[in-house]
This record gives sequence, structure tokens and C-alpha cells, in this order.
Amino acid sequence: MKREIDNKRESRRGFLKNIAASVVAAGTLAPSLLKADDPNLIEEPEWGKKLGLPVDKYLYGQPSPYEHNVVRRVHELLSSGDMYASVAMCPIHELDGIITPNGLFFNRCHGGVAIIDPNKYRLLIHGMVEKPLVLTLEDIKKYPSESVIHFIECPANGSTEWRAPQFNTLQFLKGMMSQAEWTGVRLKHILKDAGIKEGAKWVLAEGSDNSHMGRTIPLEKILDDAMVVWAQNGEALRPEQGYPIRLLVPGWEGNLNIKWLGRIEIGDKPWHAKEETSKYTMLMPSGKAIRFFWPMEVNSVITRPCPDKPWTHLKKGDVVEIEGLAWSGHGRIKGVDISFDGGKNWVEAKLKGLVLPKAWTRFSYIYKWEGEPLLLSSRAYDEVGNVQPTIDQEVGKMGVENIYHRNAIVTWEVKANGEVHNVQIRS
Amino acid sequence: MFKLDLKRISTFVALTLFATTSISAQPQEIKLQTPPLDKRAVDGAIKYHIKDDVYADTYKINPDAYEIKQFNFGREATKNEIKARDIDVRYDWQGLPDGKGSVEQGDELYAKHCEMCHGEMGSGGKGYPLLVGGQGTLKNQMLKPGDEPPIKTIGSYWPYASTLWWYVKTGMPFPHPMSLTNDEVYAIVAYLLSLNEITIDGEELDDEYVLTKEKLMKVVMPNVNGFYPDVNGPDGPLVMKKFLSDSSNYATPNVRCMKNCPTAKVVRISQPLDDGIRPPLSTKRDLPKKEEGSAQNSKYAKLFEEKCSACHMNKAIAPVPGDKEEWASRIKQGIETLYEHAIKGFKGMPPKGGAMDLSDEDIKGIVDFMVEQSK
Ligand code: HEC
Ligand code: HEC
Repeated sequence: MKREIDNKRESRRGFLKNIAASVVAAGTLAPSLLKADDPNLIEEPEWGKKLGLPVDKYLYGQPSPYEHNVVRRVHELLSSGDMYASVAMCPIHELDGIITPNGLFFNRCHGGVAIIDPNKYRLLIHGMVEKPLVLTLEDIKKYPSESVIHFIECPANGSTEWRAPQFNTLQFLKGMMSQAEWTGVRLKHILKDAGIKEGAKWVLAEGSDNSHMGRTIPLEKILDDAMVVWAQNGEALRPEQGYPIRLLVPGWEGNLNIKWLGRIEIGDKPWHAKEETSKYTMLMPSGKAIRFFWPMEVNSVITRPCPDKPWTHLKKGDVVEIEGLAWSGHGRIKGVDISFDGGKNWVEAKLKGLVLPKAWTRFSYIYKWEGEPLLLSSRAYDEVGNVQPTIDQEVGKMGVENIYHRNAIVTWEVKANGEVHNVQIRS
Repeated sequence: MFKLDLKRISTFVALTLFATTSISAQPQEIKLQTPPLDKRAVDGAIKYHIKDDVYADTYKINPDAYEIKQFNFGREATKNEIKARDIDVRYDWQGLPDGKGSVEQGDELYAKHCEMCHGEMGSGGKGYPLLVGGQGTLKNQMLKPGDEPPIKTIGSYWPYASTLWWYVKTGMPFPHPMSLTNDEVYAIVAYLLSLNEITIDGEELDDEYVLTKEKLMKVVMPNVNGFYPDVNGPDGPLVMKKFLSDSSNYATPNVRCMKNCPTAKVVRISQPLDDGIRPPLSTKRDLPKKEEGSAQNSKYAKLFEEKCSACHMNKAIAPVPGDKEEWASRIKQGIETLYEHAIKGFKGMPPKGGAMDLSDEDIKGIVDFMVEQSK
């Protein structure tokens, strides 16, 4: 029985061989033409005949050397001049589940990655408070902690696609986001020690790195679910994520989650920092711009298949799982719909795994593929009843010069040979 | 933020007036429930609560932590500590220190500290932001070939001059911010305002113009009314809550169309950007090739090629990387000595090989590259 399946696979593979060779990023382990009496089984493999590495070889563990292509990637066009005000994209096409390994977490910064001496780290809290405070890292860690799972997404995620599709890779289409389990203290506990004065409405959070990134946040959010965090996925924050302390504002623009947090000022007016005037504002066709736009809206993308992980290894009639990520800064993902015909007709996918508030949620659809070409799209909706717009809906209202907050439906064109391409359905 | 803002992108979508929808069958839609304002947080999101020691129906919490009225951790900040760190300048000018500087001084300082990145008279270049122009372009939409993009600069876009003072003081010059004195910042801001033809009390900022605190506080930027909603009033957060709770403000529908939905054409990639990706895309599971894959290496390999290879690829002039014999004794001196020799010069080796525009860090990177090749 097994052999029979393999034989079928083989003929299909023979047919696909030429095509597969032309696919740039075949997403599978070298698709060995599994012959009968496979030497990989018949003969003892290399690693079965000699000692492995000693346990003290890597005292901080490394991925297998075979995983060396699973890395963040950069593009010169996605920078403001150099690699210090730039972004390294997360390889989300290679991720499983909902947690991003710390070394792959996307890295966006505005003045390079600061390396802070934790012994010299101080957090200053002042402004409209009864008692301005200085806290050391040890002081902060004395507060009772919580651990929560949230995505962080740069609002410029997907910004290259406003006018037309341009990247044929999921990593660059949606890789300006990642998700971790964050550990820290709710800021409302710390602010009990400072004592907020009557009339306070806004908060300035400022990084202590070279960019001194400052952002205005309403006090209501700070007292609702904002946290000061020191750990991601069980270990200290990586420098790229603001070691030793970053702000976490669940569901909100990545830029507001101030890294290397150095100062919190409480006030009665918004500040209008550089990143809420020059950048991170949304220019509309009217010539006016939306000034503050905090939450990341409902969004989704199919991660398998995708241009980086095509269906070139499938044979006609294979049953395959279509899988993807859905997320919303407005709450929990309620559901995801899938279309096979470019958005004309939709069916419901299933959510799987943990369905958490303001967090990446996996969806799944089991499909029998007969080799027919598809226009494959996903469309998420969330707890506040927001639904991902079509490109025409989004562009019709927002124009194409917004840069930020692009959450229109993503479509993959699946060809008969299993190749997958990024396309757009638009007028 | 990105170079793409400025680069003309040559892939366009041809515009048609009407989407090609099928008019034969009616779309089938499901309308979704949207929560009332009092169930929403300040950003329009669902407002979560703690109930039975569970937060957001998800995370168990320790209620005792929430009972504590005060922890009394840390210590009270001193006035001097706050003064040293309180570097922001709010739009209502709270935080702006005294100082003064002339346009002419600003011109000189700009040439010294800013021009190498932001170009002559703020003209941009090399991907660094443009600091002048763009007035009257904000309604531009680049929809088809020949369209101009909107150009967002200090002069055309920034609503408040406070932000400019604050940012130049705390964010620039990019490689070493917080290095300019307040007077220097005043001078540079005066220069940048004059480049953008911004007037104060109807007065043009000519070379002799001296900008002071009082004068700066009178600046009204051309695009001051270019932003909405108005969050500066006492109800700012509430204004935002209402705005963000109405998803029609940002083109997000509250219906799921399930059948016979309006769709449109398929637009494919015409000019992929994938070529510029570093390291090149690959999902192969193989062993890394030596050297390849390290972005650092290729950067310094390139710099070596540009700045050092004229001598160092010619055995007759200078040691060639890869020549192990030649390099063995040099490497023995230790990497710090090699750095020093490369930076300060050594016998026939001129300081930095004559490439004085390279930073010490770059030189060290190139030396590392040369040494790696020669081990
Ligand atoms: C080494 C290059 C470099 C130098 C030198 C430099 N800048 Fe910049 N500048 C940048 C980069 C990079 C950014 C964008 C930073 C970001 O994306 O967060 C920037 C952004 C700016 C902006 C914001 C522009 C906008 O519209 O968003 C202003 C204003 C500015 N610089 C002024 C100055 C001034 C004034 C000086 C000199 C005192 C200076 N810069 C020196 C690289 C430089
Ligand atoms: C004008 C020719 C010239 C250029 C250009 C040049 N070098 Fe050299 N370099 C030399 C010579 C000659 C020597 C050998 C000096 C000796 O040991 O007599 C040398 C030696 C060196 C050494 C070894 C020093 C030691 O202590 O043994 C290093 C490292 C080095 N160069 C780095 C660089 C780098 C990096 C650059 C480019 C930024 C560069 N060189 C450009 C001529 C040059």
C-alpha cells in the first residue's frame, strides 16, 4: 500500500520535475524521489554511527545548521537611508504555531539597536504625579508580574502594496510583525506608587536609545492593559526588543511599544512627537491626515501555501491543509473566511489552537486539490464586528498614499503547477 | 519613513471607473454585531475585565496583587534628575528652553552636521529624508503613470514647529544625538524654517534673522490644520474613542459578503522588488556555504573592493588577503594592532588607506574581513 502511494507520487514528481526546477523557492526538504529500498533507510545514516556534539558545545543553544536560511531579511528600500533606521523582516512563512522565536522576531528601529547596561538602567516617571519616581530594573521586577501573549506589528506592514503587488514573498509582504509571550508588570501597579494627579489625560513614553523615540498614549490605555515588560518567551528581552525594558501596549502600533523605555511623563495634553506628525500619520486623498491611529486593525494572511511555501510538491487529488494567521488589535479573532475564486464566494475556515485577545490566531481549512488554478484569499473578522476590507473598499476610502495600516485582503494565485504568486484583486 | 515614500514606483494599476461585478445574482451578506461605546476601550477595541480572577476570559491573575494600594518601590526622583531627562517639547511649547541662534549660524552648522545625509539645503539624497519643499502636493495620489506623489516634509506636512525643535535636539544628528547645544538647535531650526520659507509675524527669515524662544513660539506651520480628529481639547481621548469605534472612518466594513460578492481584476506583479532582498530568499535545508549568508561580510567585502583593493589586490604593493604566509605574522600582532595600523597608518599603509570618509567601525569591519580571508 505504502509503495503504491510512493509510486504515484513518483510519476507525479516526474511530471513536476522540470517545473519544480524553475521554482525559485521550493519550500520542502529536497523532494527526494523515494525509490524502493531507499538507502536512507537501508543504510545506517552517518549520524547513527558516531558521537554527536558534547553537551557543552553550545551553552546557549543554536538552531540546526540546516536551518540557516530561516533568518530575518532586509531590503535597502525599506530603510530611511541606512540599516540603523530600518527594519529586518520576520520569516513568518517558516513559523509554526503562534510564538515567534526570539532570534527571528522582526526588528524595526530608528537609531540602531541600543545595548543597555542593566545595572545602569533607570526608569523615570514624572509629570502630573504626586511623587515622581526613579526605578531600577530590580525595583521594576519586584512588582507582581503577569505573562500575556500578544503580537506586535509595525503599522507599515504591507506598505509596499498600496499601489500594486510588488513582493512575491510572504516575508516581505507581512513580515513586519511577530508574537511572543511577554512578562512584566501592568503599568497601573507602578503608577499607584507615583499617584496620578487630577486632570491627567495623556502619557509620554520615551525610549532611552539614540532615537529617544517619544510617543503619546492616552492615560486610559496605560491604566487599562499597558505593561512594562522585561521578558519575551521566558528569557530577557533581546536588545532588538528593547532590553532591558520595553513598553507593551497590546494590539497597538508597534512603534508605540517603546523599546529601551527610559521615561514616562504624565500630562494633560498630547505631545505631538515626530512619530505622530511626520510619520505614523495617515495621509488621505483629501490632503488631510488621520493624526493618531492606535490599534492594528483586523487582518489575516494564508501562510501555507504562499509564494515561499508553494504547492509544487503536491500531486493531483492530494488532501492539503490551508493554514494561516489572523489577528486584530481590537480584540479576539471571531472567524476567518476563505475564497478560492478571488473573493466572489467565501466559505468558513476553522480556528485552531489558542484563540487569545489581540493575538495571532491560526486558521485552517482542509482542501482536496485537483490541480486547478486558484485565487486563494483569507478574510478575518473580530470581536468588534470589523471585517477585513477588499482592496477596492480600502483604497476607495483611504487612497494609496497612506503608507500605514494596510489591512486589505491578500490573494495568492495558485497555478496548476503549484507555484504561488502574490496578486491583487482590484479595479 | 521609507525610501519608497519618495521613489517613484513604476508599477501602476490601470484605473477603470467601475468594478466588473456580476450583476446577475444578488450578493449574500452577513451583518456583524458591533458593540456600543460603553463596551469599548479608548481605541474602539473590546474592553476586557477581570472576572472571577480571570482576565479577558483568558488569563488567570492573582487578585491579591490588585488589592495592594501601594508598593512603595523605587525612590522619589530629584529635581535635577527630572531636569536632566525631561527633554521633550510639547506642541503648546511646554518644555522649550531658552536660547537663540541665527539663520546664518544655522547654515554653517547644517553644513557641518547635517548636509552629508540630508543634502545641500535639505534636498535629501541617498535615501535620507528630504527637509524642504512639497507644499501643495498633499492631495497628490500616485495612481497611474505620470502622477506625482505627495511630498511630506517639515514645511509641507509637519503641523508644529515644537516637534522640529524637539526632534533636532534629541534625535539629530543621527549618529550622535544630544550633542548640539540649545543655541545650536535654535540656529539650525531657524535655518530649516527659512529654507521652507516659513515666516514669523509676517517677517521672512533672512540670514541675519535671530530665532529666540519668544519668536519660535509664534511660528504657525503651514499644515497646522492638516490633521484630524482634533485631539488637543480636554476631551481628546473621547474624541479618539468615538473616531476609532466607527470603523467606516478607516474603510473597515462590518459585513461579510459570502456569495456573489463584488470582485475585480487580477493584478499581477509587474516589477518585483525581490532582487534587493538580503540575504537572498531561500527555503532550502542545506548546510551554509562558508562566508556566504553573512550580510556583514558582504558589506565589508564590498568596501574592501571599493577602498582598499587598489593596493591590497596587488602583491607587489600590499599584503593580499588570502595569502596566508604573508598574513600569519601580521595576524600574530593581534587584531587591535591591525585595527590601529589600518586606522592610523603603518609604514607604506596610509591612515585608513586614504579613505578618510570611512568610520573606524568600517575600517575594523574590513580588517576583520581581510583577516578572515587569510586564516
Ligand atoms: C548620518 C546621517 C544623518 C545625519 C548626519 C543627520 N541626519 Fe537627520 N535623519 C537621518 C535619518 C536616517 C532620519 C530618519 C530617522 C528615522 O527614520 O527615524 C533623519 C530624519 C531627520 C528629520 C525628520 C525628517 C522627516 O520629515 O521625518 C529631520 C528634521 C532631520 N533628520 C534633521 C537633521 C538635522 C538638523 C541634522 C544635523 C544637525 C541631521 N538631521 C543630521 C540621518 C541623518
Ligand atoms: C595606497 C595603498 C594602500 C591602500 C589604498 C590601502 N592599504 Fe593597507 N597596506 C598598504 C601597505 C603598503 C601595507 C603594508 C605595510 C607594511 O607592513 O609594510 C598595508 C598593510 C595593511 C594592513 C596590515 C597592517 C599590519 O600591521 O601588518 C592592514 C590591516 C591594512 N593594510 C588595511 C587596509 C584597509 C582596511 C584598507 C582600505 C580601507 C587599506 N589597507 C588600503 C597599502 C595600502
